[in-house]
Amino acid sequence: MGDALHAAPDHGPKKRSPVSTTLILFIVLAVMVAAFSVLSRDFSSFLNISTMLTNISFSGIVAGALTLVMITGGLDISVGGNIALTSCLVAYLYNLPHPVPGWALVPIALALGAPIGTFNGLFITRLDLNPIITTLGTMAVTRGLGYVLTKSRSILIMEDVTGFIGRTVIPGIQIPIPLVLFLLVFIALFWLLARSKFGRKVYCIGANQAAARASGIRVKRVKFLLYLMSGVAASLSGLILTGQTAVGMPQQADGMELDVITAVLLGGTALSGGKGTIMGTLAGVLILGVLYNGFTMIGFRYVHIRVFQGILLILIVALYEMREKKRF
Amino acid sequence: MSGTPAAGGHERLSRRGIGDVLLYGKSMVPALGLLLAILVLFFGFMTKNFFTLGTFKAIFSNIPVIAVVSIGMTFVLLAGGLDLSVGSILGFTAVNVVLFHDWFVKLGIPAVWLPWLVILCSLGIGIALGAINGLIITRIGINPVITTLGMLALARGMASWFALGFEILKTGRITDPVFLNMARAYLPDAKTAIVPITLVYVIVLYVVAIMVLRYSRYGRNLFAVGSNEYAARLAGINVRRVKFSTYVISGASAGLAGAILVAQLSLGRDDAGLGLEMDVITAVVLGGVSMAGGKGSLYGVIIAVIILGVIRNGMVQLQAAIGLSYYWRDVVKGLILILAIAIDAARIMATKRRQVVRQ
Repeated sequence: MGDALHAAPDHGPKKRSPVSTTLILFIVLAVMVAAFSVLSRDFSSFLNISTMLTNISFSGIVAGALTLVMITGGLDISVGGNIALTSCLVAYLYNLPHPVPGWALVPIALALGAPIGTFNGLFITRLDLNPIITTLGTMAVTRGLGYVLTKSRSILIMEDVTGFIGRTVIPGIQIPIPLVLFLLVFIALFWLLARSKFGRKVYCIGANQAAARASGIRVKRVKFLLYLMSGVAASLSGLILTGQTAVGMPQQADGMELDVITAVLLGGTALSGGKGTIMGTLAGVLILGVLYNGFTMIGFRYVHIRVFQGILLILIVALYEMREKKRF
Repeated sequence: MSGTPAAGGHERLSRRGIGDVLLYGKSMVPALGLLLAILVLFFGFMTKNFFTLGTFKAIFSNIPVIAVVSIGMTFVLLAGGLDLSVGSILGFTAVNVVLFHDWFVKLGIPAVWLPWLVILCSLGIGIALGAINGLIITRIGINPVITTLGMLALARGMASWFALGFEILKTGRITDPVFLNMARAYLPDAKTAIVPITLVYVIVLYVVAIMVLRYSRYGRNLFAVGSNEYAARLAGINVRRVKFSTYVISGASAGLAGAILVAQLSLGRDDAGLGLEMDVITAVVLGGVSMAGGKGSLYGVIIAVIILGVIRNGMVQLQAAIGLSYYWRDVVKGLILILAIAIDAARIMATKRRQVVRQ
């Protein structure tokens, strides 16, 4: 898999040194995997790798959709709340006196992300509101609705369809289902961003919005579609998390916006927009996933990782800033 | 909300109705005052015990934390920045207040001095973390959202780390009556308790902050930086220093609020102030401080803080009166935040249109 990824061309608009950033990231990833395998014997066990990949898939799907949003210069921090509401809704519907059948839960969950994304998209594009604050508001609204639905309790959901999505490993080849979904989403996003006309529009808007509008791109519609996509992707992640943890509660995915934004920025997407690739985000997601897992394996606790996360986020952006200025 | 006159803006500006004055006027204070009055009347009619001294005391002992942190956030927003880390800085301070208090007691410092020393320490911690934010933002030039999001994780992580590491933080209790009275006392005296002492602190802090914004050179520089950074630099204002100072002030106010919160709850835990940034940004933006910087006043902010306090208290009473689940509070909060920035956006658009008309 690794070689195919290295060969993938870097489709950022600025081609100072093609593939370099992404290549560096994948080298870092390889070094980290090697280091953790030496430091902790359990790191390379099948059980750990499987869990790690499931966790990566869960946040990676959101990070992938967020990459496109961030390339246009936007931001969506409502994803954590969206995931929490999805898990609450699915668990709530399954625990009604007349439970909603399992096969119906998946479309319902995915359909939940659409109105949330629509809400974000409409407010940000039509009323021209600040995306950070708007999605901060949506985060509170969605998580709040989760509290209303569950009355702040955790609802158990032992159900086959969500369980299949979140917990199953394909027998024989030993690949967890979330990883399959993650790869499918990334292939689709890669095609969309690097190969399709829509992707060119996304880069164009991020690089210069006024120029994009002048050249006939319907900026508002493109941005709206991206927020919609981000909403649906978050709901898909919510389904995976619900299946994996078998519980719906409003505190799910608390603070995950930080993980996801860090991964996207690590992948080389600029916060000011116009720059970034799906391959970069893939590398970012994998590096962070391996890092957190490896740290846990060698004995750090969640609180230490949290401190480290904060420093890492600032450090990453500082490094990219320096790279931009001094070109190392 | 979407009442932004897209077409026919000229006519609307020449005939300004009462709605235009309220929504697009220079000050948000009349509109906010009206909203507050409507809310108070609404809750008064819907619930039984709203117009009581108990409600008054409950509201005014609940708002000091948000009110104090809102001062710092106002300074940051006026200079065109954003600070998402206030809740975490407050949490880290709260944990440290307990630690320092314990340490000072063991050192044998007399009880009279102790609260003041603890408050100095919490201010110091807030200033230190705010200064780190400010340095990263102004010296390295990293986006304030990313920097303070990083600090949000960092400070909360450190608070939880401390909470795991120190025995005293297993409970986090403080029972020292002198310290607790800092935030729990009532005026005029304990018997005829009417005005919570924290309300006095809030009033003093707001008066000082309003004076600074209005009459000091620093205040004028702050507005200049927020409304046009480039012009401010040309005018000889040290833009970096002004921006740096706002994050320090924000950190300091979060630290102070941490000490107040611990004294109010007699409890300093690592989850103190979780999600506070939401409440504070809502209050400040609803109060008419523009996200674009350079516009706004603390008069509007304090009214907005009171509005949020009234809504919170009113919703608790509504649950008792008509059975509306209190869990709707976060939904309401989020919607108010979005409404607030929608109004802000409409006001910015109206200003732009006015400038176009003048030209």
